[in-house]
Amino acid sequence: MSSSADLNTGVARKSRRSDRRRPRISGLGLALLAPALFLLTLFFFAPVVLTGIFAFTDLSTSTGIGRGQYVVTPNLLRQLGDQGLTEDDATAIASVSITIDEAGIARATEGGVDPDFLSEIADRFAGESFDDPRAFSRELRGLPNAPRRPRELTQTAEYFETSVLNTRFDNPEALTAQLADVAPDVSSDTIAWIVDRSYTGARFTTANFERLATQKETLRLIGNTALYVAATLGLFNVGLGLFLAIVLFYTPKPVTSFYSTLWLLPRITPLVLYAIMWKWFTWEDGFLPIVAEQFGLPSFNYMKGSVVTAWMTMISLNGFIGASFGLILFSGALRAIPMQQLWASEVDGANRWQQVRRIILPQMRWPILFVTSYQTLSLLSSYEQIWLTTNGGPGRTTTVWALEAFTTALSNYTGNLQYGLGAAMALVLVVVGLVLSIIYLRLFKFGELVSRPKIEL
Amino acid sequence: MRLQLQNFTKCFDGTPVIEGLDLTVEDGEMLALLGPSGCGKSTTLFSICGIYRADGGRIMFGDRDVSDLPSQKRNVGVVFQNYALYPHLTVEENIAFPLTVQKPRPSKSEIAREVRAIAELIHIENLLERRPAQLSGGQQQRVALARALVRKPDVLLLDEPLANLDAKLRLEMRSEIRRIQLETGITAILVTHDQVEAMSMCDRVAIMDKGEILQIASPTEMYRNPVNKFVAGFLGNPPITFLEGHTATEGRFAMDQGLFLPLPSRLRDLPAGQRISLGLRPEHFGSTGTAQASGRIVFVEPQGREMLFDVEAAPGVVLRSVQPVRDDVGVGDEVTWGVDVDRMLAFDMDGQTL
Repeated sequence: MSSSADLNTGVARKSRRSDRRRPRISGLGLALLAPALFLLTLFFFAPVVLTGIFAFTDLSTSTGIGRGQYVVTPNLLRQLGDQGLTEDDATAIASVSITIDEAGIARATEGGVDPDFLSEIADRFAGESFDDPRAFSRELRGLPNAPRRPRELTQTAEYFETSVLNTRFDNPEALTAQLADVAPDVSSDTIAWIVDRSYTGARFTTANFERLATQKETLRLIGNTALYVAATLGLFNVGLGLFLAIVLFYTPKPVTSFYSTLWLLPRITPLVLYAIMWKWFTWEDGFLPIVAEQFGLPSFNYMKGSVVTAWMTMISLNGFIGASFGLILFSGALRAIPMQQLWASEVDGANRWQQVRRIILPQMRWPILFVTSYQTLSLLSSYEQIWLTTNGGPGRTTTVWALEAFTTALSNYTGNLQYGLGAAMALVLVVVGLVLSIIYLRLFKFGELVSRPKIEL
Repeated sequence: MRLQLQNFTKCFDGTPVIEGLDLTVEDGEMLALLGPSGCGKSTTLFSICGIYRADGGRIMFGDRDVSDLPSQKRNVGVVFQNYALYPHLTVEENIAFPLTVQKPRPSKSEIAREVRAIAELIHIENLLERRPAQLSGGQQQRVALARALVRKPDVLLLDEPLANLDAKLRLEMRSEIRRIQLETGITAILVTHDQVEAMSMCDRVAIMDKGEILQIASPTEMYRNPVNKFVAGFLGNPPITFLEGHTATEGRFAMDQGLFLPLPSRLRDLPAGQRISLGLRPEHFGSTGTAQASGRIVFVEPQGREMLFDVEAAPGVVLRSVQPVRDDVGVGDEVTWGVDVDRMLAFDMDGQTL
């Protein structure tokens, strides 16, 4: 046994580079790692797994998260009617039967029906049943203690009605039996179908993905998301960040630090405050519309008043947060370029522009790629700013994937939160993010990047 | 092209580091700016190429006053200490860079021709496709040199070009740079703190200290006749030994430790009792000489071709001797060796050569 293990490690060692020997696992190390592993599992791994599970269910507010029950509702019958349930079957299932029994009496007593009247009913009709509610009402009217008002009479009659409609069953067998009882003419296949559909709890399904794959809205969401990420990244996170970094690079020191801090403000301002500032800035009575009015320019709620201005607002308010990230990263990368290289290019006769374009920018390739990839991932999954400002409007023109997933699952206007569909949308984001991460890691060859300096000095 | 600094002044944060410096480098000459770190030699170099702006005086390239020109317009070639190659460009693109930023931009074929010509001169034709990271230090150095020379600058400036090379390469590049300078006939300034580099590569050496040029002379002249104690101490490896004392009667020099040596004949007229210091170079203490000095060998350092001996003549007085390799003496031996008295240097209390 031990000899084969030795053989294995020998082979493994040979195939790997000698400096990458497999590290020995020590108990103390594992113990020290345990809290981190626990937290990692709890806060990183578990949510992803749960998202994955929820994505394949139709979990929503109406299903609840607990075990469901079996209920046939008029609504369900209507839906099934659209899907091929015959009129006759529907009527049969919806039919009401009237039986005068202990349960009915108890319900009526509880409902506050005159006890004298009830005892008359019990004496007179115990054990009888009626198919027609009207006939029963007629019979009731004939009793001495019957209430004079027809409405009370009808209410009393209803206590003895039993119907499979709106009755909750804990298991499918009970409902099946009841249905067979109520509507003996309906085929057992149809009953099985109805029972299956009457389940109120969540169940596993791929319908979420089918819906995402087929609905038109998906394309719009993808388009919006792509535009949002590309424009924010290109114009602000990379574009503005790089521009500022280069400008600051050529600016005297005292100005630089003040200026960099200024650009950090959007990032360090609490998000809600920042969103409110943008509202003040762009809403009807805000700064921009008032200024625009002074100049005779169109003045309206720029944040939500038109599609173009909504997009501009959304991109810039996200961009200004992201620009500081690029600014800091690019500034660092710029400072890492040896001063003598820049001197050399000046001595070689390059003017500022040539210096930036020919010497600086080519060496900013890695930081640009890094900011692009990192920010793509964070922009893809960010919705808070949009939610707090345009909220996807006007209409749904600025709704991006993450925001749609969020509102679907957690903040729906109608109140029916579709956790399952939202989870499916989130899962799509997770998968896209993972794929992008892997591509970026390949692209960067991160190991290479950190192991060896690009320039030898 | 003749290069002149006239009354050149450079300040940092209002503090002058170089004041009123005058320097002329003749056409086709290679001059070394030699001095310890912080003496202002690099500052002078960077001011000549325009990276620093002069705060006073004039910088002339031939008849052209370039004092107020930005470095882009000065037409100088600079080789930086770390070569400052552009890591994202190939060797060929690195060398071509100064040509490609010119306006009007020369044609592609012209650039290619120039690059090839300079690459042949510098012997790097076979490296053109590589990137700087794939080159050895010496090859990077050559590329930097080619880039500096490709647009035929008026002046070539070399800032510690050999400091980052290993000993063997340093020797090779020393003669290579000199060869290329001579072949192109370019006026060049070499900034270095290494006296051997300065003396071996340059026509003249300007030795600097604290922002001042102390002496400009040919290497041999400067070694033989330094103007002061600083220059004498800076040049020579192993360094000169200074002996403190005063003149005594009968043309003798009395060391503070009580030893006596004859004064060099040119100084015999000095009045007795004047405090001076004598400088004895290691090669002037050995087998031959007009006077004798005795002591015990305390340290021997074999250097292959030569040997270095430290001889303690009296407590606190260690004379250094460099001699061809010999096996007959060793640590602890008492020796009496000759001192070449007339070639000893003498300095007054201000450090000026007597």
